[in-house]
Amino acid sequence: MTQQQQHQARLAFIGGGNMAEAILGGLLACGYPLSQCVVSEPIQARCEFLQTKYPGLQTLSGSQANQLAVNGSQSSSHTSELINDGSIHVNATAASTHFPPAEVVILAVKPQVLRAVVEDLAAVLRSRQPLVISIAAGIETSAIARFMAEGASSDLQSKDLPPVIRVMPNTPALVLEGAAGMYATAEATAEHRRVAESLMGAVSKQVSWVESESLVDTVTGISGSGPAYFFLMMEAMENAGVALGMDRETAKALTIQTCLGAAKMAQLSDDDLKTLRLKVTSPQGTTDAAIKAFEAGGFCELVEKGVIAADARSRTLAKELGGSKL
Amino acid sequence: MIQSRVAFIGGGNMAEAILGGLLACGFPLSKFAVSEPLPARCDFLQSKFPGLQVVSGPEANRLAVNGSTSPSKTAAMIANGPVHINSTASVDFAPAEVVILAVKPQVLKNVIHDLRPALQTHQPLVISIAAGIETSAIARFMTEGTSFKPRDMPPIIRVMPNTPALVNEGAAGLYATSDATPDQREIAESLLSAVSKQVSWVENENQIDVVTGISGSGPAYFFLMMEAMEDAAVNLGMDRETAKALTIQTCLGAAKMAQSSSDDLKTLRLKVTSPQGTTDAAIKAFEKGGLRELVYESVKAADERSKSLARELGGDSTSPKL
Repeated sequence: MTQQQQHQARLAFIGGGNMAEAILGGLLACGYPLSQCVVSEPIQARCEFLQTKYPGLQTLSGSQANQLAVNGSQSSSHTSELINDGSIHVNATAASTHFPPAEVVILAVKPQVLRAVVEDLAAVLRSRQPLVISIAAGIETSAIARFMAEGASSDLQSKDLPPVIRVMPNTPALVLEGAAGMYATAEATAEHRRVAESLMGAVSKQVSWVESESLVDTVTGISGSGPAYFFLMMEAMENAGVALGMDRETAKALTIQTCLGAAKMAQLSDDDLKTLRLKVTSPQGTTDAAIKAFEAGGFCELVEKGVIAADARSRTLAKELGGSKL
Repeated sequence: MIQSRVAFIGGGNMAEAILGGLLACGFPLSKFAVSEPLPARCDFLQSKFPGLQVVSGPEANRLAVNGSTSPSKTAAMIANGPVHINSTASVDFAPAEVVILAVKPQVLKNVIHDLRPALQTHQPLVISIAAGIETSAIARFMTEGTSFKPRDMPPIIRVMPNTPALVNEGAAGLYATSDATPDQREIAESLLSAVSKQVSWVENENQIDVVTGISGSGPAYFFLMMEAMEDAAVNLGMDRETAKALTIQTCLGAAKMAQSSSDDLKTLRLKVTSPQGTTDAAIKAFEKGGLRELVYESVKAADERSKSLARELGGDSTSPKL
């Protein structure tokens, strides 16, 4: 089925920050209907920015905004009441001020506020049962489930909660070149997974499922935090070029294109990374001299240390933010 | 769009990449001749680029540069065996206006010795992509043991390309001798731009060694870094295929962000590094472990090896043995 033939799910973004903006932008660029999207964002200036960037986008702010985004609005008069009593502020130029409940809720708030946000939404999430997609770093699906159970009776079962899919995206989503790892709870169906993959695929060229949630921390160590590792490597190469007599602009431009070219070759080739390297490393040549220096200096071990550090920090954060007894 | 007649001396990977890139840009096939000694390689190029003029044999280099306006003369050469040509291509072609020296550095001296009468006669722009051979060495090869003076011989542009040219994502540094005209510089830049997204001129030839250390050898540094990240993820329990795919796309995404941003690399990094977060933990480990210094030492090692290769291959008997 083409995207046009499939039903385009009603999306609610809770939080309108950079990542939400990137995903929304990517989806719209792929032809996703604007009328099926709503963004709940507390900062009014940010709402206005999003409205300017995406004319006709429905944005909500105010104390009831999250609730309305998820629950939908039964009627224009109901919406008007909420506007009049100051509970929400809507985009008056949006395509519609009457909207259905969300089928997919994308939690795009900062990890530190996620618990409060989800607990506030718990009842309406349980009643509407949307697919919940969290892009918050360090918050485990078990924690989200616990937050969603807030206020429920003690006989609540996990199957009564909305399915949760946890995503670790990365910043290059902002240029539609993201890499994302995803984990789905057992309650998520194949269709839920397909929807999540399709949404993240709007901004990520690589979307990978992990079958155990602990691997999301490893995704963090590789692709979540990884762009910064390459920024640092490129910065070091640029500085090396300058130290050896090259002008900075040339050093920077050649370095960045070299990084890009290497990645493209790796993506297009069937060879593994070691083979790619060996194929371009003539014995006793210049590349050989550099690689020998990297190896003598313990480069690979150092890279591993960095990945391990990010993975470990991700686990620690999950424990801190999960709020469960340790 | 340049319309020069281009002769490739040597039909290896880089020649193939540049040729392929130029043809993809709409450059006419009939403008090219490739001189390549290995028959199997000639066959490969002819099947990849049907109609391409590929010559081999002892006279092939000269034929590629001199051209042949006499089909009967060419036929005689074929009959006498000093040249094998692509009979499905035109046997009537003009002298080269651009000669791309794409042979291995170790054989360049002999190749130039053989070609120098042709070079002196037709004065093509000479573009060398051979690593480690300085323009002064090329100029010396062109005149040593002859009565030719340097001013009798054509200008030389030296290029340090890199392997991602094979996927049209190359990065190249160029240096031109002082007698190269702006038009000739533009021709060289256009040719390299067919396969390189970044083409940079350096105004001192010793910077070609730095280009080597950065973009010439640089792809291997990123292959090594990606390999290390992939292995680290596997050691932490991820399957290799996922580790590889996420790593490579992360490298690509970071490069794309860097290219499309006006921020410098430090600012890009700081913007994605929340204090006490996961990225901060990794970066602190890299800084503590001396990543920057290690990168500098390795780039410098490639730069120095490039310089020493240039001394070795320059073959000037007046220079000290190294």
